[in-house]
Amino acid sequence: MGSIEGILAGFQVALSLEGIMFVLIGVLVGTFIGMLPGLGPISAIAVMIPITFGMDPTPALVMMAGVYYGAIFGGSTSSILLNAPGVSGTVATALDGYPMAQQGKAGKALAIAAISSFVGGTVSVVLLMLFAPLLSSVAISFDPPAYFALMFLGLTAITSLSEGSTIKALISAVVGFMVVTIGIDPQTGTQRFTFGNVNLLEGVDFLVIALGLFALAEVCTLIINRKDLSFDNKQKLGSLKITKDEFKEMRGPMTRQSFLGFLLGVLPGAGATIASFIGYITEKRLSKNPEEFGKGSVKGLAAPETANNAATSGAFVPLLSLGIPGSGTTAVMLGAFLVLNVQPGPLLMTDRPEIFWGIIASMYIGNVFLLILNLPLIPYISKILKIPRPLLISLVIMFSIIGVYAISFNTFDLYMLLLFGVIGFLMRLFSFPAPPFILAFILGGMMEQAFRQSLTISNGSYMIFVESPIAISLLIIGLLSFLFPIIGHFRRKKEV
Amino acid sequence: MFKTLNQRISIVLLVLAIVYLILAFQLPSFAYTNIDADVVPKGLGFLLVALSIGLFFAKDSETEEQRARRNIPQKDIGALLAVFAFVFLYIFFLELLGFVVTTAIFIFGCSWFLGYKKHVVNALVSVLFPLVMYLLFTSFLQINLPQGILPF
Repeated sequence: MGSIEGILAGFQVALSLEGIMFVLIGVLVGTFIGMLPGLGPISAIAVMIPITFGMDPTPALVMMAGVYYGAIFGGSTSSILLNAPGVSGTVATALDGYPMAQQGKAGKALAIAAISSFVGGTVSVVLLMLFAPLLSSVAISFDPPAYFALMFLGLTAITSLSEGSTIKALISAVVGFMVVTIGIDPQTGTQRFTFGNVNLLEGVDFLVIALGLFALAEVCTLIINRKDLSFDNKQKLGSLKITKDEFKEMRGPMTRQSFLGFLLGVLPGAGATIASFIGYITEKRLSKNPEEFGKGSVKGLAAPETANNAATSGAFVPLLSLGIPGSGTTAVMLGAFLVLNVQPGPLLMTDRPEIFWGIIASMYIGNVFLLILNLPLIPYISKILKIPRPLLISLVIMFSIIGVYAISFNTFDLYMLLLFGVIGFLMRLFSFPAPPFILAFILGGMMEQAFRQSLTISNGSYMIFVESPIAISLLIIGLLSFLFPIIGHFRRKKEV
Repeated sequence: MFKTLNQRISIVLLVLAIVYLILAFQLPSFAYTNIDADVVPKGLGFLLVALSIGLFFAKDSETEEQRARRNIPQKDIGALLAVFAFVFLYIFFLELLGFVVTTAIFIFGCSWFLGYKKHVVNALVSVLFPLVMYLLFTSFLQINLPQGILPF
């Protein structure tokens, strides 16, 4: 199926009554959860996975994709109104969005955010539509060593790009990989680290990890901060109107950041957070009035909002065409695919075109929905920020429990969930980043398989990783990616 | 000897790595394969040993903000432990009393404990949410949640 026929078929899926309904549900739920301070897209996706059990995979995945970009979209609202980003991808949004809101122009800030998000999201879906099939057709010739190297690159990229200490990020990834070795080894049938416990034979479920390390750990932070940051009832939103001059100002950042954000989203490890910051910094450098940034600049708000949404669609390129997630969030997204028995990767486009193209087409519609939802409905939607913290905490715990129970039907996994909640909270306390852990957990099984397949092909010789040109170049790039933080470290020292 | 936080954490990780390695070396071998089930775990174990030694000697690179995260008032630590205890009880009674009853008690109790004063709203939410979720899962999604002592 060619790209044009493909996308037409995709629109048939997305524009069916079922398609429209599930896109709408997805973006609505995503916006709501993303808006809640502290809860990000990972929790949003993880909480929604149980709902998709038993659903037809196409509408289910269309909905999950909607949850993902909806959550990024929703995060900007709490950034602007509360200076409390719900998602790390919208931290940069608060830099100019919150000052603007404080000047009584909250409505305008939300409108700018909505429009730039829409532009970033839509432009990057066009790019996604062009690049994903291209990458799929290249990736179809990848052998196990190349796949192993690709996943290795994904892991090293996320560890070297996560905030804070690289060594802690690496430890986080290694421990995540260790957890996935628990259970029956799929290749030899050996029981590994099960301690004779029947519940561990199939390994730890990824929802236990995703909901524990993210949702429950976020709940812990909410418990500590349960008293502050309630949304002020009297805060005026002000007019939503954007003047012609302001729109002119937005045009430059929106165009540039749509492309830059998309590119950063495609690259492993980067994603929405880094794209938004880089977008912010480049626009500040390019601006004639950089001193306006941080004080409610239109450009300073439009840039990160365009970039983070563009990066979100960009992140779908490696996920859909290689089957390899580049970030913690897309790792959980991959989990959502696997729960539905859909294996993303180079074969997805030919084997399940309705899913591949359906998701892409639905993103056009989802972005339109988000714009429609967010512009006129902002004053009503922002009421969700008034949910009292204690109630919110109890409800998030309930959703996490349902999520795990609905997949395993036993309480053992629930105790594991609690355990990983504690681990996730401790990781936060001691600044160990959680995204490398979840990515390693998701990639670990596939990586081990590719590694052992490669060595089986080569009869045990490790030279196979050096002899394949694709594999060796990817491995070298992966190792080099550790140099970035070191270079950054030296540059910072110089500046001090 | 273990002065800095990094050093203390690295010791914990080192112990974890060694226990993991000991278990990895005890894995039974499988005759018909080039690469047995123990290769990757052994590699990971040694990697974690190396990384925890690295962490032991690493300079503390935390920002002030990250450090401040650890300054939790005693009262909040108490609240955290209490909520964990609540969740533990929630899980323990889930299959005995059923989803709706346990969840309702949990939401009401937990929200009250955390300082929510509007008891009528709280009671409404804690009855309605579990009921709606229960019906959604059992009737609409065909996923069974524990029925417990309720007749439906």
